[in-house]
Amino acid sequence: MRLLLVEDNRELADWLGKTLRQANYVVDIVHDGEDVEHALAAGDHALVILDLALPRMSGLEVLRMLRTRGNRVPVIVLTANASLDGRVKGLNEGADDYLAKPFQIEELEARIRAQLRRANDRTAPVVACGDLVFDTNTRLFSLAGEALALTPREHAVLEQLMVKAGRTVSKAALSAAIYDFETDADPSAIEIYVHRVRKKLDGSRVQIATLRGLGYLLRQDDLAP
Amino acid sequence: MRINSLRLQLLAWVVLPLAGLATINLWTSQRNALATADLVTDRMLVGSARAIAEQVAMVDGVLDATVPPAAIEMFDTGDRDSVYYRVETAGGRLLTGYPDLPEAPQHASVEAAYRDHQLRLLTLGHAVIGAGNDSPISVTVGVTLAGHDAMVKQLWFSAFAQQLALVAIAGVFVLLGLRRGLAPLIRLRDAVRSPNRSDLDPVEVPGAQSEIRPLIDALNAYMERVRAQMAAQRRFIANAAHQLRTPLALLSTQASYALRESAADARQEALVALQASSGKLARLAEQLLTLSRAEPGSRRPRADRIDLAEAARHVLETLAPTAIDRKIDLGLEEAGPVPVIGDGTMLREMIVNLVDNALRYSRAEGSVTVKLAAIDGEAVLTVADDGPGIPADERDHVFERFYRIAGSTEEGSGLGLAIVREVVENAGGRVTLGDGAAGGLLVEVRLPLA
Repeated sequence: MRLLLVEDNRELADWLGKTLRQANYVVDIVHDGEDVEHALAAGDHALVILDLALPRMSGLEVLRMLRTRGNRVPVIVLTANASLDGRVKGLNEGADDYLAKPFQIEELEARIRAQLRRANDRTAPVVACGDLVFDTNTRLFSLAGEALALTPREHAVLEQLMVKAGRTVSKAALSAAIYDFETDADPSAIEIYVHRVRKKLDGSRVQIATLRGLGYLLRQDDLAP
Repeated sequence: MRINSLRLQLLAWVVLPLAGLATINLWTSQRNALATADLVTDRMLVGSARAIAEQVAMVDGVLDATVPPAAIEMFDTGDRDSVYYRVETAGGRLLTGYPDLPEAPQHASVEAAYRDHQLRLLTLGHAVIGAGNDSPISVTVGVTLAGHDAMVKQLWFSAFAQQLALVAIAGVFVLLGLRRGLAPLIRLRDAVRSPNRSDLDPVEVPGAQSEIRPLIDALNAYMERVRAQMAAQRRFIANAAHQLRTPLALLSTQASYALRESAADARQEALVALQASSGKLARLAEQLLTLSRAEPGSRRPRADRIDLAEAARHVLETLAPTAIDRKIDLGLEEAGPVPVIGDGTMLREMIVNLVDNALRYSRAEGSVTVKLAAIDGEAVLTVADDGPGIPADERDHVFERFYRIAGSTEEGSGLGLAIVREVVENAGGRVTLGDGAAGGLLVEVRLPLA
């Protein structure tokens, strides 16, 4: 899952990013409200974490701009202003959730998961496809009850396929979901990651099908024993 | 209680003098009553004596004195007064009456004791035609004083009742007037005391007199000042809370990261960063505390005599490690003591903030210079750095609390210069911003020399 973090305090942004990456999220960071639109256009972000006190363009203005242009990406607003008025204003402008600083990272993560579940029309925290299970709370995959060890990139690929299980995911979409801005996106590397994940799924009842010219698709293998 | 005592006080001021006047009045009216009774009694005595004298006549060549009953009865006023009389010839021969009745002068009454009674007596001379040497005869009439005294009492009592009524009515009107007059004051008290007055809204007392109006206005003006001060405090606290939230979120995030990280070096990095963040947070808390202490009225003003040069040297020694870390050439230029009067702790804190700011914004491997001099009776402290400086249009704002220049990436608290200004102004000085010789910012503080 690729997230966009908008926070002007560089240190906080830096450490929030690190902590979220620990939990296998792909995180892009911008420090300025004016950069948000550009960042969202460039990457396929599943969620935006938006600080309200931003230089040049405030978080509320960013939110209003996004919603006016029909962007429905889930937005969790972070703010140091915990007043009722502030919260109501944020939610009225189209924020999906609201978190006052200081917060525990666990709470932020729980809210991210809840927003992602809702965005994918899921209510259960556990996603399953055949014997492959993804627990969105621990953010770990397991195969036939055994934990599945994946590198961060492999994790990102499989998570993206899992969330869209049964539907085709184009190579470009996969690429937009797994690379952050600091990495040079290399579409051909996607094939390598998919290949590695496939090997790890060998012998299970799920498989990644390749549809030439269309992309990839995660599905339950009915033919397997 | 106080209002009640005011009521008593006013009552005393009105009623006591009134009672005094009434007493004097009663005394004079008693004397008037006495005089009136004397006059009436004397007239009656004259009338009685004349009635007796006119009945004295020569009958068959002999003086005959027959006392007419009317002359006695005119004294019968129901007070059981006794009337005594004596009729004598000019030669002193008793014609009728009581020979031992005390003598009384003509045309004026006297009081004398007779037969255990006090009598009022009067003598009237009367010529009797044909009486020869016996004429004129003298008629002395005396009467006991029961009727006289009763008349005095009656006259005096009605005066007494009138006076008493006057004082009582005056007292009642004073009380009524006071109640009416003090009503706005009591309404003011109730308005101020009222439990649903949580805020410091101005008090409105309809119908307040022109004497009370200034009190209410003064009270409202005072509350307005208090309210403004409280609003400033509230803004500051809200701002301070706001400023503390982001560093706290950072601390929490760094701690969470470190807890989850299994790689030793990454964990180490997080812990080092955590330590630095908590140091910054501590510095912020310290600045907030300094600022609240520098606020007027929050601390007893102290007048230490301190050497600014000595204080600056001490501060620079403390901050030297930071300068060395950033490879900044930190220097002090001074020529002897620069004594000033002020709060020593606050003045040192002021220098810390100036130098800390300069070190923070100076170029790496740049220089920061602190100069001290005594010029024209003023202590002049300048701190110059070679950082980006402050644009002229921002210079007024940077002294505001929590003000940060837009686009500034340095993680300052926005409190340093606010503290400097507060401390310098408390010590009777002023602070100005200018351009440093090497570009960068030059802060100049001028304080009166001790």
